[in-house]
Amino acid sequence: MLTLTIFLTSCSSVKELSIFKEEVKRQPLALEKPTPLQMEKIQWIIVTSENAEEVFKKMEEQGLDPVLFGLTDNDYQLIAKNFARIRNQLKIQNDIIDKYKEYYESEEETKE
Amino acid sequence: MFGTAKLIMVGIMVTGLAGGVAYTYKLKADNEMLKANAIKMESAIDEQKTLIENQKKDFAQILETNKQMNALINNLKKDIEALDKRFNKDDRDIGKLAIEKSKVLERIINKASDKAARCMEIASGSPLTEEEKNATKKSEINTECPSLANPNYIPY
Repeated sequence: MLTLTIFLTSCSSVKELSIFKEEVKRQPLALEKPTPLQMEKIQWIIVTSENAEEVFKKMEEQGLDPVLFGLTDNDYQLIAKNFARIRNQLKIQNDIIDKYKEYYESEEETKE
Repeated sequence: MFGTAKLIMVGIMVTGLAGGVAYTYKLKADNEMLKANAIKMESAIDEQKTLIENQKKDFAQILETNKQMNALINNLKKDIEALDKRFNKDDRDIGKLAIEKSKVLERIINKASDKAARCMEIASGSPLTEEEKNATKKSEINTECPSLANPNYIPY
């Protein structure tokens, strides 16, 4: 009886606890941010029915082709607003990239 | 008869003794294993604590980042509203102004255009100049995008 008990209890031995922690990090993409824009200076010329002749004469004197690509006053406002919207979008996208970098890459640095 | 019975009894006793010794060894080994497991458990608990701490930090950073992004979007919206206001303030009609004061308006929109170009550069990542950083007065700021170009300017 004793022998049987000993043999039976021997079957349920304590097993070694194993903790799995295998993490293989992805290689960082590490893309360079693009160089900031350097904008060209542009010149707006206001042409009205009254100053048109004078404006074209001046352009010829300056050696410029006497031609203008025009916008109405309303369209000028719209183009200004469109550029402001593009600029805002650019800023937001740029900041989002920075925040992602800050969030993920600063964590990498602290761990190293 | 008695001889055989004695032999069987001794046999049982020896087997029992051997079993007892083996069982003691097994218990000792189990005990060692339990100690090792307890150490591992403790380190696992520590790791979990660190993990929870890191998660808390991550959540805080996520909240802060969202807050900053919302503030940025609101400020950029204000810049657009300010631009709209400049065009339409007090029933202003820039078409009429252009007819009446062509030269003056031309100068104004060319200046504004230069400022808007600078705003585009800043939005694309160009660093701010000292002058832009230190601007606090209306006369010093980039009126096209003060929220981007002049971080120290407080509208008054």
